[in-house]
Amino acid sequence: MLAVRSCLTGCCHIDLSPRIAQSTVARGPRRGFRSSTRSNPTVENSPTPAEIAPLLDKFATYPARPVTLSTLLSLGQPLTPQSVLNSVKHVLSEVPRLFGQRVRALEGLPFIVGMNPFIAKTLVAHRKAFQLLATYPPVKSLGDNANFTEQLEILVQTHVNDIPIMAKGFQECSRYMSPQQVSDFLDSAIRNRIAVRLLAEQHIALSRDLQNPSSRTIDHIGVVHMKCSPRSMIKMCGSFVSDLCEATLGSSPEIVIDGDGDATFAYIPVHLEYILTEILKNSFRASVERHHKLYGPSTDHPIPPVVLTIASPNSSSPHPAVLSIRVRDQGGGVSPANIPHIFSYSFTTARSSDDADEIGGPYAMQHVGGSAAIDSSMRGASGTGGLFSEIVGRGVQTGMGTIAGLGYGLPMSRLYAMYFGGSLDFFSLDGWGSDVFVKLRCLDQAGDVHIDSS
Amino acid sequence: MTWLLSPAKPFMLAGSSRRILTNVLTTTRSVGRRGLSNAQHFYGNKQLELYAAKEAKPMTLRQLVFFGRSINEERVIISGNYVRTELPVRIAHRLRDLQALPYIVVTQEGMDKVYEMYLSAFDRFRRFPEIKTLEDNEVFCKFVRELLDEHSTVIPNLSLGLSLASPYLAPNRLDSFMRRMLVSRISRRVLAEHHIALSKDLQARRRGNGASSDHVGIIYTALNIRKSVEKCAAYLRSRAFDVDHDMPKGANTTAAWSEIIVDGHTETTFPYIPEHLEYIIFELLKNSLRATRLTHADARTLPPIQATISAGENMVAIRISDQGGGLLLPQIKSPSDLFSFSHLRNSTRMEHSRLGALRSVSSSTKGITATVKEQLGSMSQPTTRERPDRTAPYPRIGIGLPMSNIFATYFGGSLELVSMDGYGTDVYLRLPKLGTNLEGIEV
Repeated sequence: MLAVRSCLTGCCHIDLSPRIAQSTVARGPRRGFRSSTRSNPTVENSPTPAEIAPLLDKFATYPARPVTLSTLLSLGQPLTPQSVLNSVKHVLSEVPRLFGQRVRALEGLPFIVGMNPFIAKTLVAHRKAFQLLATYPPVKSLGDNANFTEQLEILVQTHVNDIPIMAKGFQECSRYMSPQQVSDFLDSAIRNRIAVRLLAEQHIALSRDLQNPSSRTIDHIGVVHMKCSPRSMIKMCGSFVSDLCEATLGSSPEIVIDGDGDATFAYIPVHLEYILTEILKNSFRASVERHHKLYGPSTDHPIPPVVLTIASPNSSSPHPAVLSIRVRDQGGGVSPANIPHIFSYSFTTARSSDDADEIGGPYAMQHVGGSAAIDSSMRGASGTGGLFSEIVGRGVQTGMGTIAGLGYGLPMSRLYAMYFGGSLDFFSLDGWGSDVFVKLRCLDQAGDVHIDSS
Repeated sequence: MTWLLSPAKPFMLAGSSRRILTNVLTTTRSVGRRGLSNAQHFYGNKQLELYAAKEAKPMTLRQLVFFGRSINEERVIISGNYVRTELPVRIAHRLRDLQALPYIVVTQEGMDKVYEMYLSAFDRFRRFPEIKTLEDNEVFCKFVRELLDEHSTVIPNLSLGLSLASPYLAPNRLDSFMRRMLVSRISRRVLAEHHIALSKDLQARRRGNGASSDHVGIIYTALNIRKSVEKCAAYLRSRAFDVDHDMPKGANTTAAWSEIIVDGHTETTFPYIPEHLEYIIFELLKNSLRATRLTHADARTLPPIQATISAGENMVAIRISDQGGGLLLPQIKSPSDLFSFSHLRNSTRMEHSRLGALRSVSSSTKGITATVKEQLGSMSQPTTRERPDRTAPYPRIGIGLPMSNIFATYFGGSLELVSMDGYGTDVYLRLPKLGTNLEGIEV
């Protein structure tokens, strides 16, 4: 969520540097079983299980007191030194609890899976984070808070690529865990992480706003934009995806926006940005590839546009207010055989790259994704960066890998959409095109939603 | 029920059936409840149980089509006798299904009528003598045709009865019961209509007009979706703009209906039963047209409705997108509730206007068989001037979507609704090509 600012200002290159990850971690297995985790350089300053177990036990006994969204919003209304200090309290009670849950979940994985270097790395990082926060001295002044916020920012940065790293690990563990087990684990890990980042970044944003009132905009409460405009988000993500698509496929479709173009609603822009970017990547790639298939790569025939329709909720609505966005393309749709897989994490089923084209299309790639696509189109590029970089790591330099929306764009977008009670649904007209419906609850009316991992 | 008295059908009143039939007669003439709880009726259930114990003998669509490809006298007689012996078994199953419902449910208005109609149909069918000649078959076809027509009030009666019975039957149980009734009804009608169509084909061939090759029985081998959409669109758009008499005050009643734009794979043809496809499209377009009209009541030109056709390998799909404001009703929780017959899921079912419309349709002779044809018939009837009650020519009784859903899923297709609240609705209809996967499809 830090990415809001960084992306908007154009400096977005928080890359895990997968090459580093690979060089430090991936060597692990070759050393054989003798290499205990201790020999791993990233592991050295981390707490041992014995040190951390009592602390985990202690936190596990604390009753869950998830923060509601309205609490989170109220901290910024008005923003005062006291409200920032209250915000710290929430962060210091909830974030370590959430990290503790992840530690316990990772510790509960089968031993052989825990031995995977990527999974091991994740566990170590989580233990560190947990220990840091669980033993953090009380934050009593704004000065304390400045230090704490700095540490928190570093922590958030270090964990930016948790999911990709874990995903890589599970990909390698496909023999030891069923797709369903992996999928369930990742779902809850991602939800947990959305909660952690929301709490942390809300606090970071509030602290920053308090310190630097000139940077505040009236429509923001921390990371929540009270008048988020889907149209301008679409334009921003669309121009990014257009560039990416031009750079990798040579052409790109137009975007048409219709419906209620002037609608605004309260939402977290970075969530919407992630969702829209992933959907647009799929639609753009499908549209261009379909068009090439039908008319050849050099044709004057225009690529059919991707049409985004915005519907704002009716004020008299008896149901929770929901803003809907429909993304409609003529990219050929998805065959019924692939429909069941479009929300699966790519790496849960291994496939060879050869049949990737046959079963075809970017939506199917959600399923085949991962290694297959890397092997065929990204060899020599920046390794797994494209696959594993999340929104913050998006970059044209990752080329094909990024436009292909490899691996988990749709499943993860759906988790984001569902986090506050929204939805993401996919409908295909096989041989013609696809519709994606994103429905998001207006957050000013979603105060009851718990910031939690469930 | 006048046919029961007709001496022209002696086979019905023969032998031991007289008791049951007399019973039914009394029932229909006097107060229904008394007849149904009659002890005679209770002890007269033996024949029914005998048939209900038999298994239905489903036909795959492939068998039906292949059997019909080279129709001759012998085959028509085999087909007739299959229908003659199969239908009473299936009707008996449905009667047992009705008998197993809570007493309070079947004694609701409408349900008792359905029960009686089924019971008498069962009795007449099982007494129909074996078909040995083409002449026998002609009589049989006429008999079946009449029966199909008489049963046209079944759907509104069932729908009325179940709306009223909703408090006594959990929504899931209610909907699965209704589904069994309607699916069985479609199957029986497919079998019966197919047989009648085959008999006609044979007649035509004998007269020297070779049976047309565009269909086998009631299955059309190359049904053009665009043409079906355009046909329905033309009919629907030719109606008076205020056809439902529900325009808000001051609204523009002289505007024109929305354009219906067809795009996608517009030349797609596929093998299907036209009545089924057209019923669904007709209902969906009717809903879209109406929603758009009501949402944009003061607009000069209404936003268009887009129908996109796509042909996949084994399925065809039709997407209908309108700008009618979506499906957000306080009465329903999710769009799929609109497929339910339970008023607990869709409380619009208990509105007076709707119950009233169901009552009048249920007691009319014409009833509703869920076809486009009958709706066209009623549309061409005189309009409001001659209708002092100001009811719309085709009353809104709330069976369009539930029936469409049943028709769509009948051969393994699907119907999905997506609401863009505040903007419009997208409907996705998927139907299997009835030529490629005939084996698995049983009727």
